[in-house]
Amino acid sequence: MRSRRLFIATGIVVCSFALAQEEPIVEYVPGDEGERQPLYTVVPAYPEKARRARVEGEVEVCFKVTREGKTSRVAVRRSTNRAFEKPARDAVRDSTYRPLPKDEELSGIKTCRTFRFRLSPVTVD
Amino acid sequence: MNKVTTQWLKCPVVVCLCLTAAVAQGQESKTILGPTNPDLYYGAEALLAGDGEEGVRLTLLGVKHAANSRDRITGLSNLCAGFIMLEQYEIGLSYCDQVLAENDQHWRSYSNRALAYLKLGRLEETEADLQKAEAIAPNARTVKVVRSMLLDATNPVAPLIVIDDRRQAADDDEK
Repeated sequence: MRSRRLFIATGIVVCSFALAQEEPIVEYVPGDEGERQPLYTVVPAYPEKARRARVEGEVEVCFKVTREGKTSRVAVRRSTNRAFEKPARDAVRDSTYRPLPKDEELSGIKTCRTFRFRLSPVTVD
Repeated sequence: MNKVTTQWLKCPVVVCLCLTAAVAQGQESKTILGPTNPDLYYGAEALLAGDGEEGVRLTLLGVKHAANSRDRITGLSNLCAGFIMLEQYEIGLSYCDQVLAENDQHWRSYSNRALAYLKLGRLEETEADLQKAEAIAPNARTVKVVRSMLLDATNPVAPLIVIDDRRQAADDDEK
């Protein structure tokens, strides 16, 4: 117990050098015509653990959009790595769409959004 | 129970240390409250709290009065960490070297020395020490962090997130 306690100091050094997460580069591919139009799109954070390990992934999240533009019944439909599922799901939950005009009927069809988590090389001088 | 004893028992970690000390001293029927090497203990506490200077000062005293090899190695390892924390990498390296001279399976010192080498730009030595640390403790989080720092130094990457709202081909379960 004593040595475990004392050795904890080692971890601090590493933590103090941990890099702050940088803002990701974002690319947006719009949906087809006739789809509900996004109003506020939340970009998920790249999981730091995955970035450190140089892991990339892809998650498809499907959901319904209410008349008011809120997302509901959010679920991961396909994923290549579980590490990316929560950020993707949370991003969809916090995103909104343009409210539907009163004269338009609400479609029962689900909307899907695919998130691709990529790491692009950075050139250093 | 007197006031001093009550204060010790408030901290579970310290209680464990009390028990260890009591067992060690059992043959002489003595009860010692608190860590057997207070300087080493409070030095580590100071380092944990981010006070590198005080941590190093106390740990140096603790190593000076180390009663056994284990305390000495612990102290030297923490000194390595402390000096790296103070950005005195060369001094940190010397303490890591001392630990590894006594125990060549000490993965924390390989990891810390790798970090010191990294900060000094000695990337080949960083890689060599990281490989040794990974071989001994493949799942250690601190080793993984140093590995990622080396990767960031040699192969930096930027996160790119593509948000694709196009309808995918297989939409069979959407309705």
